[in-house]
Amino acid sequence: MIDQFALSQALDLLFSSFTPWLWVIPGLLIGLVFGSIPGLQISMAMAVFLPVTFSMDFLQAMLFLTSIFTGGAYGGGVTAILMNIPGSSSSIATAFDGYPMARQGKHNEALGLGLAASVVGAFVGYILLMLMIQPLAAFVLKIGPLEMVVVVLWGLTLIATLNDSSMAKGLLAGFFGLMLSQIGMSTTGVMRTSVGMPYLIDGLPVVPAMIGIFAASELLRLRGETYLVQNEAQRDISFGRILKGAGETFKYPGVLIRGSLLGAVIGAIPGVGSSVANLVSYGEAKRTSKTPERFGKGASEGVVAAESANSSSEGGSMTALLALGIPGGAATAVLLAAFSFHNIIGGPSFIRNQTDVVYSIILGNLGQVLLLAVLGLLSLRLLGLVVRVPLSYLVPSVLAMCAWGGYGITGTIAGPLTVAGFAALGWLMRRNNYPVAATVIGLLLGRMMEGELVRTMQISGGNPLRYMLERPIALVLFIIMLLVLVGAPALKALRRRRQARTEV
Amino acid sequence: MTGKFYATHAALIGIILAISGFITWSAVDARASLDNLVVVAPVAGVIALLAVILVAVTLLKPAPAPAEGEAGEAPSKDPGIWGDMLLLAGFGVFCYALTKVGFDLATFLFVWAGVVMSGGKGWWQPPLYAALFTAALVYGFGSLFPYPMLTLVL
Repeated sequence: MIDQFALSQALDLLFSSFTPWLWVIPGLLIGLVFGSIPGLQISMAMAVFLPVTFSMDFLQAMLFLTSIFTGGAYGGGVTAILMNIPGSSSSIATAFDGYPMARQGKHNEALGLGLAASVVGAFVGYILLMLMIQPLAAFVLKIGPLEMVVVVLWGLTLIATLNDSSMAKGLLAGFFGLMLSQIGMSTTGVMRTSVGMPYLIDGLPVVPAMIGIFAASELLRLRGETYLVQNEAQRDISFGRILKGAGETFKYPGVLIRGSLLGAVIGAIPGVGSSVANLVSYGEAKRTSKTPERFGKGASEGVVAAESANSSSEGGSMTALLALGIPGGAATAVLLAAFSFHNIIGGPSFIRNQTDVVYSIILGNLGQVLLLAVLGLLSLRLLGLVVRVPLSYLVPSVLAMCAWGGYGITGTIAGPLTVAGFAALGWLMRRNNYPVAATVIGLLLGRMMEGELVRTMQISGGNPLRYMLERPIALVLFIIMLLVLVGAPALKALRRRRQARTEV
Repeated sequence: MTGKFYATHAALIGIILAISGFITWSAVDARASLDNLVVVAPVAGVIALLAVILVAVTLLKPAPAPAEGEAGEAPSKDPGIWGDMLLLAGFGVFCYALTKVGFDLATFLFVWAGVVMSGGKGWWQPPLYAALFTAALVYGFGSLFPYPMLTLVL
């Protein structure tokens, strides 16, 4: 599976001089900053710093840009934990349990859990990439719209489990999100619900909506309280407790490994990637947990599942780029631009002819992950200071940043107005115990779902079920999904009934 | 005695039904074909059904005892609701004003008013903090924006 000669050449390329590593630490810091400020996207950071790579050699440029990617993925998780603001769609599930942990005064532990899970997840993702780049690339080529439908459906099933008070409220919130995703031009070019506003042609901007419904609505609820963490004794930033949290990650090896594997595989699917990976991983961790009722209230496993999956999906997303020359998302599209700057074309010939460079990129990323562990630990002390800021100052400041973030993403008034609209919706939902996360998931995956469904209908000639029988990957994925969703709970219920009978 | 349907809950369900109804009507009006309604039609049906179930369950459920009702069961009776709504309205105005009066002035005024509304003490600390925070946002956050940003003073 590994070309030994190319591997030794890669090691030589990486370690014969310090040059490839020069820009890694600045890249990680840039990623951490961009990832942890709502409204600044990782892909935006990579695009802003792309011209800097003109003067670099190819390997140095790749390590610099991928270090922004790595740092940004973790930075988004930090704000999700501390302020309930997922930096990107890949950190949504981190907020589900990370933020409740922070509110309970366990912010140190949550940050440690997130960091360790991210490091392990990214490590597993890149190791898998190195070992299986060619089979994974072959797998990616076989993924069609039907397979995407199954994966997106899997992500959507999380809606049913996110119910704060009643299943009906959770479902209504999720289906409303799906409905909102239908605003704007459809996949087939039909204009719907634009109400004459050009801003709505591409649909509602998802990230501003996410910032509004998650963060702004929560901030309104916090108004009137004194600090994010009520207990003064728990407000400190403790290196020891962060490390303790990091250590706790390894108490959940099953969740960690499953999250990392799910992230790597789902991350490899272009267009789906990390947005779905963290949701599927969180959903599976909750379903298989012996104490699912703790999820959403500050369960450590929830943070581990989400962070391990979104970090390992980074390795997965590099599969399509390196092996096929296809960018799976905005960040990998910027990496593809860096490829063209240096006259390199990704794809099978790149892997075949320049295996040493491919290995050096992967090994360099493994090195970055280790550096992230150190830098993350050092920066957490600074980022964690947010719990010491009085809420009377924090609430309006972060609200203002949310609106700015909305503008930073869209570049028009539509961004801040979306933040405000969804803040109001989120406030109403929270007051009546509706899970806002379900709406975000529906909004995020609805459009993806529609596009893939329409393509499947077209390819299958209107008979998707018969078409599924011709698609072994989709069939296997569908069967696994059914087994996980229906089979596992049924078995659990059966076992519980048997146990109850023997106890009687 | 049956359960009470609180104003904020009624407003939420009303908003959900109104928006869903409008999106469905707009989609059907644009083109009533399977590829255009593949998500809209089934989702609209489920939303209508769930809304009916929720309203029925809420109305038919016995009213909670007063002691139980204190912890979130009576959301519209919470005295903080008006403060929340005022801040929310202020936030809406701020978002709209960003590109109208300038990011700097809108942010300064919103943060100042927000700090005071959220319980910030002192007469000089809130405006000083708002000014420093606005300057930090304009020169820090704003400089990273790939778009032009309208400012009035800074």
